[in-house]
Amino acid sequence: MSKQYLTLHTLTSAHPTDIFALAPTPTSLLSASGSSSILIHSTTAPDFPLVQTLSNVHTLGIHHLVTAKDARRAASAGFEGKVKIWSEGEDGVWKQDGEISDDGMKAGDVWAIALSADGSYLASSSINGKVHVWSLNESGMPKIREYETKGSFGLSVALSQDGRFTASGHENGSIYVFNNDTGRLAHSLAGLVHPVRSVAFSPASKLLAAGGDARVVALYDVGSGEQVANLTGHGGWVLSLDWSDTGEYLLSGSHDSKAKIWRIETRTCVATHSHGEKPLWAAKWLPKNTRSEMFALGGGNSNISVYREAAG
Amino acid sequence: MFETIVDGFLDPSRQLFINLKSRVNISRRHNEHPAESNLVPQPKTSNITFPGSNAQEAWRFSVLVRILELVHGCLVDNVIMTKRDIYYRHPDLFVKQSVVDRYVDDLACTFGVSRSLLNVAATAKGLIAGNFSLRRQDGSVVYGLSEKDGILVPQVRQEDSLDLTPVKWVLVIEKEATFRSLISSTRWASLGAQGLVLTAKGYPDLASRKFLRHVADEIPHIPMFAFVDFDPDGIAIMSTYKHGSYRLAHESVAHKDTPGLRLPELRWLGVQSHHLNRVPVGESVAATAALPDAQGLMRLTARDRRKAQQMLEWNLCAEGGPEPEWRAELQRMLMLNIKAEMQILDEQAGGLVSWLGNELDVMQGSGTGSTSTSAVATIDSDDEMLF
Repeated sequence: MSKQYLTLHTLTSAHPTDIFALAPTPTSLLSASGSSSILIHSTTAPDFPLVQTLSNVHTLGIHHLVTAKDARRAASAGFEGKVKIWSEGEDGVWKQDGEISDDGMKAGDVWAIALSADGSYLASSSINGKVHVWSLNESGMPKIREYETKGSFGLSVALSQDGRFTASGHENGSIYVFNNDTGRLAHSLAGLVHPVRSVAFSPASKLLAAGGDARVVALYDVGSGEQVANLTGHGGWVLSLDWSDTGEYLLSGSHDSKAKIWRIETRTCVATHSHGEKPLWAAKWLPKNTRSEMFALGGGNSNISVYREAAG
Repeated sequence: MFETIVDGFLDPSRQLFINLKSRVNISRRHNEHPAESNLVPQPKTSNITFPGSNAQEAWRFSVLVRILELVHGCLVDNVIMTKRDIYYRHPDLFVKQSVVDRYVDDLACTFGVSRSLLNVAATAKGLIAGNFSLRRQDGSVVYGLSEKDGILVPQVRQEDSLDLTPVKWVLVIEKEATFRSLISSTRWASLGAQGLVLTAKGYPDLASRKFLRHVADEIPHIPMFAFVDFDPDGIAIMSTYKHGSYRLAHESVAHKDTPGLRLPELRWLGVQSHHLNRVPVGESVAATAALPDAQGLMRLTARDRRKAQQMLEWNLCAEGGPEPEWRAELQRMLMLNIKAEMQILDEQAGGLVSWLGNELDVMQGSGTGSTSTSAVATIDSDDEMLF
């Protein structure tokens, strides 16, 4: 059975160039692009007004931006190689509260980033394949884990909501799951052969979704490491994946500008939306509040569109 | 300069030295005056003394004096020498061609003149083909379509007359292979009748850039396109054609009658990221999911990524800078970690030549209806708006 989603609002030309990342909070949507600023739009007012601009954050542009699920914290990664940590004050104003740094850190030492639900840990991938975990609440934000892989570019990284696992997706198609408690590799998954551009844990941390140039979304059982499903239908590379709050639906975004919504129970695609004709870099659910289920899309056409589930 | 050297000989208390200005180690990055990005960077100055502090410096001094002597001879006799000629006079002294290239450029930089004013020419590296003719003062004529493999880029002297009447467009191609496949194709008969193609085989030499500048001055209303690989070097090569070379900035300075050597009218024909997935993959065909991606897509190397990042630091690619599309495309390359050569367009129906022909036809269709004024007006417009 298909589901219907309607465009609720479009922020036209939100950024001057490709939108590379969207990161929601319960009341707002943060966005980042090839420009140097992070924009914060309110999601509680009907016309999604711009409430804050963090200017000149990463001069060469921002490739990743993430928020913590249950904490007022965000992290941004720029093309110059830096990672900045942000938090939202009681007054709703975002401020920088740190920077990940390491002796001799270069561009590429940190590529993709992910925050734990409580905002206290940051996982990062790198072009040499290493995966790191950083403790943001300790002074100096030190690196606390370093996982070695076979050296293929880590295009994507994820942290499970319970904080127990880190997953990474690599250019050579491999996917790894690490146990953060023991600091060891939990599973080396049967990969996708082609570059893996997105990995995401389900809210209960039972499933891991992975997608990329193979144009499929693979589902793995985190406990056993077995592949349990293959969602096919995307015509382009899968660039982003995001689970709904309940874990019932998975949202995927593709290089061919299409977004798809998958019902996990039946493993079927229930809706497809097109976001212009340029790559769809970011597709994110908004945290469910009083209103119906909503998601946001952003990509090469520099618009941000917010969709909501049709009533009835 | 010789005077100071002679002074050095005559007066034992003075040092024997050459004061040399060089742009060799200057890069586009870290310009401290972003607002003045169009200004030419200041050269670095150094003194090379003889006998010098080590054998290396003594050798550099000898190289410079020998080049100066040869250049002086050229100027006195009013003959033109190529950099290759200079090297072959003393291959054992110069060791390799790049030594000559470097010091000749440094000397031109030191004197604040363009290299051609020292009567030193580069051996022409570029190839050109198209419907133009160049009438020399002595009555001889060079035709752009005379050789089916193209001709070496000719030097246009002031007294020569260049006839470009049939030329409706100019296409600059990064690679020789693509240039050859274009001019040996069946479509070249019709394309070549109204166009001009040039390749400098990678980063352009001065002779090619000068020729293009000459063409642009001669027929300012016709469009000029660049066709380069989708990788950081492709954009850097296009940048050298369009904005000149930082290391040879003294060549671009309008020096009395010598025009500057930039080509601001150059537009980017391809390859751009949106060309890479023109062929739509059927959504319903599950079988395609397992197929490998189009041939010709390659991963960026570590060097490519470093180069792309360095280019993002150029003032040209800065936020709000003159080349926003270069910035966006460099970022997309880094995001996807892919690059592609021009040959990837061979995957298109009809192949690369057909693609090029169609793009140029589209351009011409939009050009013929408009007056020359509006054609001039499009020069500053964004590349993408034309397609």
